[in-house]
Amino acid sequence: MTTINVNGQQREVKVDAETPLLWVLRDDLGLTGTKFGCGIAQCGACTVHLDGAPVRSCQLPVGEIGNKPVTTIEAIGTTPAGARIQKAWLDLDVIQCGYCQSGQIMSAAALLASNPTPDDAAIDAAMAGNICRCGTYVRIREGIKEAARHG
Amino acid sequence: MKGTRKTIFLGAIAALAIAGGLAWWQVALPGPLAFAGGRQVDLATYRGRSPTGVPSELASADPLTKGRYLTEAADCQACHTAKGGKPFAGGRAFKLPFGTIYTPNITPDRETGIGAWSDAEFVRAVHKGIGRDGQRLYPAFPYASYAMLTDDDVLAIRRYLASLAPVRQANLPNTFSFPFNQRWLMAIWGALFNREPVFRPVADRDAQWNRGAYLVEAAGHCGECHTPRTLMQAMNTRQKFAGGAAEGWNAYNITGDQVSGIGAWSSDDLVSYLARGHAPQRGVASGPMAEVVALSTGRLTPSDVAAIAAYLRTIPSIRSSGLPAMAGPANPVASQGPTGNPHGKRVFEQACVSCHAWSGKGAVSPFQQLTGIRAVNDRTGTNVALMVLNGGGSAHSPGPYMPAFHAAYSDAEIAAVANYVTARFGTQASNLTAASVRELREQ
Repeated sequence: MTTINVNGQQREVKVDAETPLLWVLRDDLGLTGTKFGCGIAQCGACTVHLDGAPVRSCQLPVGEIGNKPVTTIEAIGTTPAGARIQKAWLDLDVIQCGYCQSGQIMSAAALLASNPTPDDAAIDAAMAGNICRCGTYVRIREGIKEAARHG
Repeated sequence: MKGTRKTIFLGAIAALAIAGGLAWWQVALPGPLAFAGGRQVDLATYRGRSPTGVPSELASADPLTKGRYLTEAADCQACHTAKGGKPFAGGRAFKLPFGTIYTPNITPDRETGIGAWSDAEFVRAVHKGIGRDGQRLYPAFPYASYAMLTDDDVLAIRRYLASLAPVRQANLPNTFSFPFNQRWLMAIWGALFNREPVFRPVADRDAQWNRGAYLVEAAGHCGECHTPRTLMQAMNTRQKFAGGAAEGWNAYNITGDQVSGIGAWSSDDLVSYLARGHAPQRGVASGPMAEVVALSTGRLTPSDVAAIAAYLRTIPSIRSSGLPAMAGPANPVASQGPTGNPHGKRVFEQACVSCHAWSGKGAVSPFQQLTGIRAVNDRTGTNVALMVLNGGGSAHSPGPYMPAFHAAYSDAEIAAVANYVTARFGTQASNLTAASVRELREQ
């Protein structure tokens, strides 16, 4: 039995310590907003926050988490940066198909929380690992800047 | 006139003496345990617990289990299996400066394997490097180390190999050109460099150290990769464990040196690395060493891993000029690094940063740390580039994993990101080019 703190709640899960967090979230806790993309930490679709920092949950063994809080897309709207990112995403219609977007929003929210006024270089450095097959990158960049303006 | 002749004569004598001295220096190498000092004794007269055979945990195991354990300790499988091939059926290519050599099939198939060999022929091959028909084997087969395995242990390995399912797979001929295709020359090599045919423990050292010595020198044949070679391709035991090469990878200095070697590693670090392929803050076993852990050291008993660690900690320190003190923590802010490398930064932010982090401390788990890692603090950048090309581990099983990027990025991109990583997280930037990465791809 492993206990992890997800979105402010202590959750008990009966899984092997080596199980990637992504499968615990999706299969054991029913939090399916976090997506499986590549499974090898190369696309960013599975991004969640661990203690506020963006982490690829497909490669994070649940046993490594300890008592660090996990935040997923389901609860990111309760953080100030997450709320602003979500509003900007809606205002600018950033999303196209949407599959990568929970990961994009998680990475963008972490960036905004640590750097309230990111320039293009900072956006590239934080977002380059999140891939979007629809090519919404231009709107993602605009969305982050829009959210920063309303900070 | 007379004086000139005398000068020529004396010059010739001096030249001969120098040549003789150089030849002697090439040939008269210290034995593998000479560094330890003390008195080496015959195994029969050694008073402590026997350093050979299986560890006490397996004392009452059946013969096949013992044979399997010793086969793993000697790591036969790694070399005698082609990539993606059937275990022990041979066919793995080793690219050497003289050509490519393929390991043979050692399953019990009577035609293509060693099923028809007698025990005596097997022991002779393992100890002396002589094939079934008397042909000389190349020392890519580490018989200079295996010579120190006892007859009993070699026969236990033989019994285990004989118990495997036979695989019919013909051996591939090597591609050596003249004069390296002259196998008889290996008889001279063997006479010069395989002269210590038995393991002789050091009476003044304890049983754990001698067990470690047997596992490291005879079975594990660590020096075959970690000791540099002389001109004659013998292990240069004057530079024992000061670093060599394995299939294009640098096999680093594992002497007790604090800066270049593993002198700063704790015993727990060594045990964790050998048993699980990772030591916190020290790095992940990669490339050929990952195979060593998977197929050999990771399968040894705790007492044997502890013995290897205890023995390795007594190897005299040798400083390597190419392996200076490692860099400390890196700046956590994204940048082009001290060498201003925009191409390297671009690849790093696309493919690397989500796991390794801009700080190099690792973003997901301790496996991804780049700072304080030997390969990153190696100015050749070779192992970093090979790691980027080949990755390591499996995404579908526990333990360290990194994807392979050989198909995703060009030679120039891989050179750029390796140079970026060594510059930003290591002591000194590597200077790899697209051409050098192309060569590494062919390893």
